[in-house]
Amino acid sequence: MIKYIAQLGAGGISFCQRLGVSGIFLFRVICRRPRVLRLTPLLCEQIYVVGVLSLLIVVISALFIGMVLGLQGYNVLEKFGSTQELGQLVALSVTRELGPVITALLFAGRAGSALTAEIGLMQTTEQIASMEMMAVDPLWRIIAPRFWAGFISLPVLTVIFMLVSVWGSYLIGVDWLGIDPGQFLSNMQAAVDFRIDILNGVIKSIVFGFVIIWIAVYHGYYTVPTAEGIGRATTKTVVYASLAVLGLDFILTAVMLGGW
Amino acid sequence: MAQEESFIEISHLKFCREERVIFDDINLTIPKGKVIAIMGPSGSGKTTLLQLLSAQLRPTAGSVLIDGISMHDLSRKELYRARRNMGMLFQNGALFTSLSVFENVAFALREHTKLSEEMIRDTVLMQLEAVGLRGARNLMPSQLSGGMARRVALARALVLNPQLMLYDEPFTGQDPITMGVLVHLIKRLNDILGLTSIIVSHDVIETAAIADVVYIVANGRIAGRGTPEQMFASESPWIKQFVHGLPDGIIPFHYPAATYQEDLEL
Repeated sequence: MIKYIAQLGAGGISFCQRLGVSGIFLFRVICRRPRVLRLTPLLCEQIYVVGVLSLLIVVISALFIGMVLGLQGYNVLEKFGSTQELGQLVALSVTRELGPVITALLFAGRAGSALTAEIGLMQTTEQIASMEMMAVDPLWRIIAPRFWAGFISLPVLTVIFMLVSVWGSYLIGVDWLGIDPGQFLSNMQAAVDFRIDILNGVIKSIVFGFVIIWIAVYHGYYTVPTAEGIGRATTKTVVYASLAVLGLDFILTAVMLGGW
Repeated sequence: MAQEESFIEISHLKFCREERVIFDDINLTIPKGKVIAIMGPSGSGKTTLLQLLSAQLRPTAGSVLIDGISMHDLSRKELYRARRNMGMLFQNGALFTSLSVFENVAFALREHTKLSEEMIRDTVLMQLEAVGLRGARNLMPSQLSGGMARRVALARALVLNPQLMLYDEPFTGQDPITMGVLVHLIKRLNDILGLTSIIVSHDVIETAAIADVVYIVANGRIAGRGTPEQMFASESPWIKQFVHGLPDGIIPFHYPAATYQEDLEL
């Protein structure tokens, strides 16, 4: 019994220690004198790698999700004779929940895991140590551009996801199932509030982006420098980031619905 | 004989990894302008010693002074400033895989100097010429052989004109021609540029050929010190076994275990 309690205590201490290390790591990445001119080209390169290359999976997923929502929504709304509300249904679902959450999960799987693997491999092949020996801080040169690129990219990808999803449901609802386009768009416009729906969705994506990229770069930087270590770090990134997104989504939704 | 100017002083260095003692009370003095070899069998902590020297690791106790500066008492900024006077050749080259050969060598210049693009180009080409790879400047690291990668890494390490060069197993896994090239290059660069070079290796013949002083590390301590000739002539059973590559001796061939009969249940 004592042994289990000791193991539990050791686990708790280890968790707190890792949390502290990751906090200091984050502080050192964020709180530094900005070198805008030097950072800009590195940031643009990473926005391409992290953001632009994630665009395809986000757009295709958004299109299919929008189309499925259109079909499912139409079938339910038809029972109540209110198929003209399809635009409203899809737009509210996508802007409030599906857009930020699904984009974040896709982003964690595509960009987060790639970042962890890339940084982990740099650690394993001593590229980070060699940079340290050349008196170049890897947190500035490697981590910071990737961190800010992820932070900037996810909200943009989320907005793109929202737009494409709505377009997908429009294709199904209007072009295929024959809903009046005027009704589809005007009902949607009347129901969606910029601050409560769209802005809240974007705020969620900013928080998700921050957390996903923090988890990804941290696990890459502190990976055990072996092939198995990189595999574990990549898995941890996807699992922890996905769980963090879902947990934070609940907290943020509760805060946002609770009177903000 | 005049007292040689000491460049690096390691005093009472102790380093532990969790419970395991890697070094216990190591004392070393390294003179300026010489090629120093630190040799020992695999797992004896040679690379760890280089990491302690360059303050990539913190010792449990003791100090490392390089040119009078205590490396482990420096702030991060001061440490980076001190490292500008050091170059390190990593075991696998550690080239940046996303950058070409040219950009790898130019990396430190771009980060630390405000040289014009033309000056950077000329400096990089001079460094690559010195290691015989000027023609390979547009290749990516994945297109290089192991020996070429190490030569590019050597050019990159030397680009800021360091006073101290650290070589981590520079000859491991190299074919005889590449090994010969590297041995010659290390010695030539040390003499021409007036560097102090520390080579960590277990390739006895190649390292002894260019070293002025050899230290042999064993069991967390310095087992021997002297010129390569003194090491080869040593009667110490440990040094004798190591430098002559004897398979069994004071360092046992077998890892500690129960008797063979017990294990086979005979």
